[in-house]
Amino acid sequence: MIPAGQNHVNRPPALGTFLLRKIYSAELFEEIHGDLLELYEERLETKGKWIASLHYLKDAVLSARNYDLRRKRHYTTQNNSGAMIRNYLKITLRTISKNKVYTALNIMGLALGMAACIFIMQYVAYERSYDKFNVNFKNLYRIQYNFYREGELQFECAAAVPRVGPFMKEKMPEVVDFARAYPLSMVVSYNNINFREDRIHIADPAFLKIFTFPLIKGDVETCLTEPNTVVISETAAKKYFGDEDPIGKMIRADGQYSMAVTAVAKDVPNNSHIKFDFLISYQTLNNQTDNQSETAWGWYDFNSYVLLRDGTDPVAFNKKFADVLYEERHEEEEKYNIRQEFLLQPITDIHLSSNLLQESEPDEAGDGEAVFFLTIIAAFILVIAWINYINLSTARSVERAKEVGVRKVMGAFKAQLIGQFITESLVMNLLSFVLGLVIVTLGINQFNALTDASLDLSFLLSASFWGVAMLVVFIGSFLSGLYPAFVLSSYQPSTVLKGKMTGKKGGILLRKTLVIFQFASSVCLIAGTLIVYQQLSFVRNLDLGFDMTETLVVKGPGVFAADSLYGSTMQTFRNELLQMPEITALASGTNVPGDEIFWANGIKRAEEPNEARKTIYIAGVDYDYFPAYDIRFVAGRNYDRTFGTDTGSLILNEAGAKFLGFASAEEAINQKLSWGRGNKTIVGIVEDYNQMSAKTKPTPLLFPLVTGRSSFFTIKLDKNGVSDLSQLFDKVERTYTAYFPGNPFDYFFLDDFFNRQYNPEKKFSRVFTLFAGFAIVIACLGLFGLSSFNALQKTKEIGIRKAIGADVGHIVMLLSKEFVYLVLFANLIAWPATWFIMNNWLDNFAYRISISPMIFVIAGLLVLVIALLTVGYKTMSTAKSDPVKALRYE
Amino acid sequence: MKGNNLGELEELVLLMVASLGDEAYAVAVREELEKTASRVVNISAVHSSLYRLEDKGFLSSEFGGATSKRGGKKKRLFKVTSAGFATLKESKEMKEQLWSNIPQLSFVNS
Repeated sequence: MIPAGQNHVNRPPALGTFLLRKIYSAELFEEIHGDLLELYEERLETKGKWIASLHYLKDAVLSARNYDLRRKRHYTTQNNSGAMIRNYLKITLRTISKNKVYTALNIMGLALGMAACIFIMQYVAYERSYDKFNVNFKNLYRIQYNFYREGELQFECAAAVPRVGPFMKEKMPEVVDFARAYPLSMVVSYNNINFREDRIHIADPAFLKIFTFPLIKGDVETCLTEPNTVVISETAAKKYFGDEDPIGKMIRADGQYSMAVTAVAKDVPNNSHIKFDFLISYQTLNNQTDNQSETAWGWYDFNSYVLLRDGTDPVAFNKKFADVLYEERHEEEEKYNIRQEFLLQPITDIHLSSNLLQESEPDEAGDGEAVFFLTIIAAFILVIAWINYINLSTARSVERAKEVGVRKVMGAFKAQLIGQFITESLVMNLLSFVLGLVIVTLGINQFNALTDASLDLSFLLSASFWGVAMLVVFIGSFLSGLYPAFVLSSYQPSTVLKGKMTGKKGGILLRKTLVIFQFASSVCLIAGTLIVYQQLSFVRNLDLGFDMTETLVVKGPGVFAADSLYGSTMQTFRNELLQMPEITALASGTNVPGDEIFWANGIKRAEEPNEARKTIYIAGVDYDYFPAYDIRFVAGRNYDRTFGTDTGSLILNEAGAKFLGFASAEEAINQKLSWGRGNKTIVGIVEDYNQMSAKTKPTPLLFPLVTGRSSFFTIKLDKNGVSDLSQLFDKVERTYTAYFPGNPFDYFFLDDFFNRQYNPEKKFSRVFTLFAGFAIVIACLGLFGLSSFNALQKTKEIGIRKAIGADVGHIVMLLSKEFVYLVLFANLIAWPATWFIMNNWLDNFAYRISISPMIFVIAGLLVLVIALLTVGYKTMSTAKSDPVKALRYE
Repeated sequence: MKGNNLGELEELVLLMVASLGDEAYAVAVREELEKTASRVVNISAVHSSLYRLEDKGFLSSEFGGATSKRGGKKKRLFKVTSAGFATLKESKEMKEQLWSNIPQLSFVNS
């Protein structure tokens, strides 16, 4: 070695070295500097320090000509990306096959997440597709009818008055065309085939033109122009006519109206808010009503649709029409101190966001909020799945740190390492996507059964699905691959290879945050599901004010030859049924609970002026209605057969009495009301009961005595249950058909019928439960991976502890403690969030539970137990393992 | 640089590397140039030629062991590749061809 002092003296000028360092890249500097030093040393010996130094400087300065070597000598510019990608894939496959458990956890989690996401997105897409099959959907509107009395909004109704459609077309140049549809339920007969049909509309000729309901047979221009003509659906054509050609055939409705079939329409798609099997020409109705159905401003049963010109702004239209309407109607309106308002409602909004009176398909109504929630859940599940991926990858980064170290030493650049890990993530995501599609394909029927949805696999053929899916998979792979990629690629090879890797603090914090997020979501979903179930069972068991157990409802006869004979026929029919020991009561009425009342009329107290007339909903009942339903009277009495004068009596509910301005139920008794022709006396006030579901409070109702034809027979069965139901049905059906020939025997149990109002909620809760389950499974997969990794990391520590004498319980505690804290912390976040969201949801109900803190405790405990079981499995096996093996580990 | 044509100095450097065998590194090449071809060139010119020849694929290189000389720095040892030899041979044949084309007369006169 050259002594230090001498070394100092013989050093070449620093300026030259500095220049060289500037000129050459780091890779070249050393060898070139070496060459110059060698020359310098040589010259130093032969020519002395000065000359040598000058030459050294000269060499350095002249080296400037090689400045461009800096760029060219980068060894990275070789184009070997093809080989590199092949190498990435190979390493990915090796990693996958080497760590089967982790890979399985990762792929299962991601695949479940993706499957859930696909399900939800398809479901959401279906719900959002309503009415979009109409070619004109962008310019099609339904006219919503709002009614104000004394400046206060009385109701918002989906059905408008018959005059408004034609009036709008006359006055507003923006309207291309209008169509009205008046819904009906009738018994339709052809030869000896009788069915009660609920999907009948009386419709304007333009109905088939503004909507896209193509005809198979018949002429769209003329098929609905003549009175007593009807257009039927393909299904109806098959049902009544089989292979016959239906065109020109006569069908009968309710036994009295004959109509000629003029056209056959294709079946209405499921995603239409209005569905029909029969369209009766509007002229038929005009003939029946003396043209009232053309001119009335007060009869609101007509779903009215308008097609506007392209580019019409509905808001401006509403405003303009309000002025036009004022011009026409203000005198009349001011007289009664009422106001009518007609607003355009885009038809594409109807299914998800319209919840008005007299909706066309109230039981099918979608719930925009639910769809929105589901979209969020879908995103949550996918994010949870990706978080798992990130978690497992970063947790395993310690294991792979050596690989990274070696790669770096061999000359891999950071960008290449990142590329490698993102490739890995992409492969995992693609594999999961394929598995997810398999899950969807296998599970779609179960999903449909569970959620009453009608999804099919046709989306697999749509380009947009693949486009979106691939985009999501790529973005997801990139995002979920990015973090592990950065963590892994930033390791210093020297530290890693010396084995000093123990995981970075930052990574642990992130992992913890992600686990907390996952478990907070799980707690939210579980608590939410519990609350939904509790609320649903609460409303189902709520005392609605009437008895719907053991109640069979048979639809009343549509077809009856002579009205004059109805009373006596009914009497004998009733007597015959009551002879059956299983039947305890029989009542009839125009409605049953759960059946939306459409009959409304003006009513006032006799002493009030005519302008005070208010609209009240009306349900006709017979003498036996209230006792059969066990509806209590708060004042007065029921209609009584023995009183000859009861046709002049009226019964109201409490809300109705209040509505008419009576201070109490007692006060209302014997007061006179002006309803229909002449004055009638209030004889009884019944307790408020829920005509509709517990989502709404009872509304004012009037119950006139109706002894003529009615829509429903209520048959109360023996409270102790009926041993042989089918035999009873046979008996009742025979009696029914004997007395009311030509009528189909349609029956249902009232509780089923009533509770179908909760179908949207039930559906929602099932979907919710399903995906809450998904989310929890995915979170557990992640936790399992994480905890087993954690156990692996601490193998040595556990070995030492065991060797010293720790017992299994102690070690399990040690390993699970951390996760318990995380889950507890997750609860703290989840509780307020859930409370807030669910409280909002519960506000949809008129009768709601208050959220009990127990639910949170249960959800929290449940998640904790699930987490502990997940963690415990691996922890136990580690804790039980032989310490000797553990200490030999590594 | 136009294609893979050799410059005059480049050709010389290539020949020197070939003749130096296992000890061909920049300083040795420069020395050899001075000794056998009486060409005094700056070391930076030698560097320039060597690395360019390597880029063209006529030379390959690897690091030689570090010595106590030259401040303990590594040497880059160059070797002529088969492409390098082919080019050298081509160049030689072309020159021989040209020589053989020269009329005998002018040869005498020179």
